[in-house]
Order: sequence, then structure tokens, then C-alpha cells
Amino acid sequence: MLLTLGVVGFTRLAAAQQRDSVGALKQLSVEELMNVEVMSVSKRAERLSQTASAIQVITQEDIRRSGASSLLETLRLATNLQVAQVDSRQWAISARGFNSTAANKLLVLIDGRTVYTPLFSGVFWDVQEVPLADIDRIEVISGPGATLWGANAVNGVINVITKDAKDSPGLLLSGGGGTELRGFGTARYGGALGARGRFRVYGGGFARDRSALPNGQDAADDWHLGQGGFRVDWDAATSSRVTFQGDVYDGRISQLSAGDIAVSGGNAMAKYSRTMSETSTLAAQLYYDRTHRNIPGTFGEDLDIYDIDLQHQMRLGARHDVVWGLGYRLMNDHVANSATLAFLPSHVTRQWVTGFVQDEIAIVPSRLHVALGTKIEHNDYTGVEIQPGGRVNWTLSPSTTLWMAVSRAVRTPSRIDRELFSPSQPPFILAGGPTFHSEEELAYELGVRHQHGVLALSVATFYSHYRGLRSLEQVNPPNRFPVVIANGLDGESFGAEATADYWLTSTWRLSAGYTELRVHIWPTPGSTDTTRGAGENQSPDRQLFLHSSADLPAHLRLDAGLRSIGDIANRQVPAYTELNAKLTWQATANLDLSVVGQNLLHRRHAEFGVPATRREIERGAYGLVQWRF
Amino acid sequence: MALLSTVLARVAARVLPLAALLVSRPTLAGQAVRASEYQVKAVFLFNFAQFVDWPAEAFADPAASLSICVLGPDPFGDFLDQTVRDERVGGRTLQVRRYASADEIRSCHILFISRSDRNLPEDILARLKHRPILTVSDIDEFAERGGMIAFVTDRHRIRLKINVEAAGTAHLTISSKLLRVAEVVTATGR
Repeated sequence: MLLTLGVVGFTRLAAAQQRDSVGALKQLSVEELMNVEVMSVSKRAERLSQTASAIQVITQEDIRRSGASSLLETLRLATNLQVAQVDSRQWAISARGFNSTAANKLLVLIDGRTVYTPLFSGVFWDVQEVPLADIDRIEVISGPGATLWGANAVNGVINVITKDAKDSPGLLLSGGGGTELRGFGTARYGGALGARGRFRVYGGGFARDRSALPNGQDAADDWHLGQGGFRVDWDAATSSRVTFQGDVYDGRISQLSAGDIAVSGGNAMAKYSRTMSETSTLAAQLYYDRTHRNIPGTFGEDLDIYDIDLQHQMRLGARHDVVWGLGYRLMNDHVANSATLAFLPSHVTRQWVTGFVQDEIAIVPSRLHVALGTKIEHNDYTGVEIQPGGRVNWTLSPSTTLWMAVSRAVRTPSRIDRELFSPSQPPFILAGGPTFHSEEELAYELGVRHQHGVLALSVATFYSHYRGLRSLEQVNPPNRFPVVIANGLDGESFGAEATADYWLTSTWRLSAGYTELRVHIWPTPGSTDTTRGAGENQSPDRQLFLHSSADLPAHLRLDAGLRSIGDIANRQVPAYTELNAKLTWQATANLDLSVVGQNLLHRRHAEFGVPATRREIERGAYGLVQWRF
Repeated sequence: MALLSTVLARVAARVLPLAALLVSRPTLAGQAVRASEYQVKAVFLFNFAQFVDWPAEAFADPAASLSICVLGPDPFGDFLDQTVRDERVGGRTLQVRRYASADEIRSCHILFISRSDRNLPEDILARLKHRPILTVSDIDEFAERGGMIAFVTDRHRIRLKINVEAAGTAHLTISSKLLRVAEVVTATGR
């Protein structure tokens, strides 16, 4: 309620301010006009205003100012995500609920490469690092994106986009250390490659301190990672572009009662795009991704993914904008099973073939656009899956856009659903479901975006119905074990995501985000599941974020971000409020010195997990030096 | 929830009076003049109407109005309309037109090409070549790519880059008053 009142107040103030200034600006000479400080809130909203979905964009400036030290920490800036740090290396990240460390309804892409493990249709976040200075933007869409993006884009899409090599020239050195983030450093160099090409190379690493057990003792999960990579962008002709990029990494994480976890891997990618005419663009990409992971006492995995995608966008007549694409993915997965946990068979090869088409129709050009499309996918578990969607974008006035969408999305089976067994030999306590099929979602969304001068507001509301959510069926009820995995749960979720962005002055920006979320899950007739999806859905009912970003005199910049996260009832995680802050002194044009405080309000706090195995996140501070030339 | 309300109440109590203070201050007095980006760009477009001479054939008749057009998604909101409302330049009224594609452009004197994935300046400019239309954009390196006037944002301020040759090809004359404060560039052959 208070948030609403605040927003109404802001709108009125902004309107009053604006009426005065248009007239006044017109009195200025061109020279004077060039001295007016501009607030570029619209630059960000411009892109957003065209999208009929709940999209938030984290810009490079947002990242630089936030004090985030990893890709994971930057995701806290997207207020339409649920982000919880589990221990030193593990994070649970989802949108619109269904959060867990093995969350499976969110699709994550880094420069178009799907970051995905077929083990559980989720993400191993501890090997997804990107040099923060090289990120151009992160687009975070909550809600289904399956029509264009495909399976797993059930509740959201995270799209990390790194800078073109031409936008990262010269040498950049950054490094520092502190209490939780013990030490880190990155070196990057960008330069020219002939007349038309640009490249950059980077290398870096970090050491992170252990998290804490609830009794304050250390959880012995310190984490070290080293990573390097490159990107080459080549303008082959005015209308053709080629990109090559790749990364390699190697990491180690300690465990409390077993040997160190070892992770390593890499990827290589080639992209080609060609503008064939003003109305037709073709893009192709090819990548290879390799992952090795060994968790002593639990399991090991070697995964190779090969992927090729083709996309063609064309305008047909004055009103139709058609985009269609084809994709093929091959995955080769070897698991080393332990006595307690087994994927059977241990080695599988899986293939996906996908196609999609979408037509965006300008019913009233620049006013009312309707996009209709569908994804058609074939996977080895369930065969053909069809995921259609329709979206409407209605520009009510130059400053206000209303959008709505209806979409069907599926979460196709992964290895964990069909092939997971515990222990590794019969009799099993837990067995994969041989008939496990896709989880289905039907989602309805309605949102509005308003931008007026220095104020930007957005509200997205949603209702989703889920069928066939993963359940654990008791084989001999009321005995708790053994259980078999099946699709015995249905559910629904609804809620709203609101954001406000306001420039108090050209150098002081305030933003706020608020999310309300309800998820209900129930067993279908005949199901013997008693979990009610508690393991699948560990999400708070509400989240509030406030951020202040100010340029101070004497080349100082101060940013502070407060987050207030509701409790996770089914895991007894208490509600918490935490504060991050960053103070930067721009000592010279090339040198920045910063101090960052993270989770400042409490000595330590829990964000996730049941009390018995929970880890707690400690207050931290680190210093950062960044030098460019 | 109690905590959230408390936090909100505190923030509202602190921020709202500050905002009110800022607004009640004469906004355009002294050094720190500030405005939103597209408000300023809208006023620049209005100024260009006064600093550019069009050939006579650019207007249907001596009383025809001067059109400022936006190609692609409109970033101005209602700023542009507000800026030109009830204004006259050289006896002509001003009007704002919006176009979705370059092919639709009929009557246009100043064309702002908005930044969008669909707006490839080379293609649009090729279509408009030799037509007496002043092309303006904030697309990266717009003037170097053959556009006439580029808006470049540098440390929260807007600078102009002008490609005089491109304007000359379209028989437009840009006043030296405008050229003096702008950076004059030539097209790079890409």
C-alpha cells in the first residue's frame, strides 16, 4: 500500500517538473542545451517498451555500480527472480517460484549458449562465471519464454549478453580481496585484428571463504576457480558478421566430510549473421560445451554438448514480421555413480530437434502488435512437444504500454526424473519414473509499463496452471519408502512483479522492486505423494528491493541496495533483510578504487535450506582496484 | 510484512520531502540544469528546424508545415509533441509524424531514426539518398555511417556530430551557428 502511495506521489512530481522544463529548455541556446545534464532512464526502457513480457534488463552500469562480484550476485539485481545463496558455491535461482538448488523451470543462456545440465534440466551455477566488465547486459524474463526459447523456459529466461569485442578495447586490470571474497583478479586485453576484426582475451580467478553452519562453525566449503577465454568479432562485410568465442575453467570446492569437489570444462562457439536486405536477416551459431564434475562420495559427470541453431527474420509486407528457426542438440553424458546415488544407465546419448516460428503482426502499426507463434520440439523421452503462445502489445499512449500473453510451456524430462536411483543397487529407496512425462504449464500474463520523464514504472501480473508436476509416489503407503518419481501433482501460481525507477537528480537514481507470489501444489487423484512439492518449491511469498545510486562530489559514487525477503515456510527459513553497499572513488580517469560491503546488517543469515543441513551466509567486505589503459 | 512496511514508511518519509524540495527549486537556474535525455533531444530537433535550410522543393507550397518524423519505436513519448506545439519556424507550423518503416515516409523534413534492432542506418539512408531530409539519430557512429547529425551522450551531456557532406548531398544547408558547436565528421568507408 505504501509503495502505491509513493509511486503516485512520484508521478505527480515528475509531471509537474516536466511541464516546466519543456518550455524552459526551448529558451536555451544550442550551446546551453549541450550543457544540460541528461538522465537516460529512457535508454533502458526503450528496449523494454517493445517486449510483451515481464522483462528486466541489468545493464553494465547496474553491474558496475552494484558491488556484485560474480554473475550470481548480479542476478540479485533482477527483482523478478528468486535468488538465494545456499552456501559458498551453491545458489538457488528461479522465477515465479519453484526454486531449489536443482530448479528446473528456468532457461539460462550465455551469448546464446544454453547453460544447462541434462541431469536435472537446471544449471550448475558454480561454473557459470563471466568477467563482469565484459557483460553488455543481462535480460531477465519472468514467465514462459518457451515459444521462442524452447523447453525449460517455463517460468523464465536469463540471457547474459557479453560485449562486442570492439567495446572492450585496451588493458583492464582489476583485483582485490576481503573477508568472504578472499581474493580475486582479472586481466583483459582487447585490440584490433586487421582492418575489420577486433578481439579480446581474459584470464582471472577467485578464492571464496567458507560459509557457516548455523552454530557458527565453518562449513569447510571454500571455493577456488580459475577461468580464461577470448572473443573475436569480425565485420566480414557491411552486412555480414562473424564471432568466435570460448572459455575454459578449472575449480575446486572443499567439502565438510569428503574430498574436494573438482569442476572443469570449457566451450567454443562460432556465430555468423548476415543482413540479406533491409527486411531479412539470417543468423547461425554452432557450439561445443564440455563439463567435468567430480563430487567425491556423491557422483561424477562428464558431459559433452554439441549444438547448432539457425534463425531467419524477415518482414513480409508492411505488417508481418516473421522469425523462424531450427535447432539440433546432441548430448553425451557419462555419470560415475556412487554407492548411494546412481543414474542408470550411467551413459546416455540424447538428441533434441527444435523448430519455431513466430509472426508479429502490426494490427495498427506502432500501436497494436500481436505476436503468434509456436515451438515444436522433439526429444528422446516424450517425442514431439508443442509450445504455442500469443502476445499482444498495445501502446495506449506514447508513455504507456499494455501487454498480455497466453502461453503453453513444458518442462521435458531430464535424467533425474527417469534414471535416478538410490542406492545404486536394488532394493531401491528411490527410483526414477519409467513413464515420467513432461510437466505442463498454461500461463496467463497481463502487464503495463509507464514511462514519464524521469520515472519508469512496470507491473506484471500472472496466473499459471501446472499439470503433472514431479511427485514422489509411495509404493507401499503409508510406508514413506520406497518412492517412485511420477507426475502426480498439479499446481497453480499467481502474483505480481512491480518495479519503479526514478531519477531524483541527474546523478541520483532510486529504484524499487516488489514481488508477490503464491504457489499451491496438490496431489492428483490416485497419487500417494505426501511431499506436495515441498522440495520443488522453496520460494518466499514476497520480496522487496530498494536501490539508491548516487554520484557524489569529489569523484565519489555511492550505491546501496536493500533487500527484504519473506520467509520460506516449507523449509522454516526465516524472513531476512540485508544491505549491500559500494563506495567508489574514481581517483583518475583510469583508476577506480572501491570498497564493498555485503550482507551488512547481520553477522550471518540463512537464505535457504532446512535447519538440519543449512549453511549461513556471513557479512563480508572487500576492496577492489580497477585500472584501465 | 511489518518489517517491509516499516522500511517503506521510512524510505517514503525520507525520499518524498527530498523530491518535493528538488521540484520546487527553479530547475533551470544556475549550473545544474537537468532534464530527461529525450526531452533534450526533442528540443534539439526543434532547434535543427531553425538552423537548417531546405530547398524550396522540399515543401509542397510556401505555407506547408515542416514535419519532424520518428522512424521506428518512439523514444520521445509526448516530449516531441509538447515541444513543437503552437510553434512556427519561418512562418511554417510544425507537425510530428511517426513511421514504422522507411518505405512509408512521405512528407518529412527532419527524420529521427530511433535505436532499434530493426533500424540499420545504412539501409535506411540508402533509401532516402538525395531526398531533402535531415537525418538524425543516436545510433552508434551514425554520422560516420552516413547520417547527417548524430547525438552522442558523453558524461551525461549530449554532443552533436555533423556529417556536412551527407547534408550537402541532400541539398541541405546547415547553419554555421550549429556547426560551430558540433564536431564535424566525414563518413568512414565501411
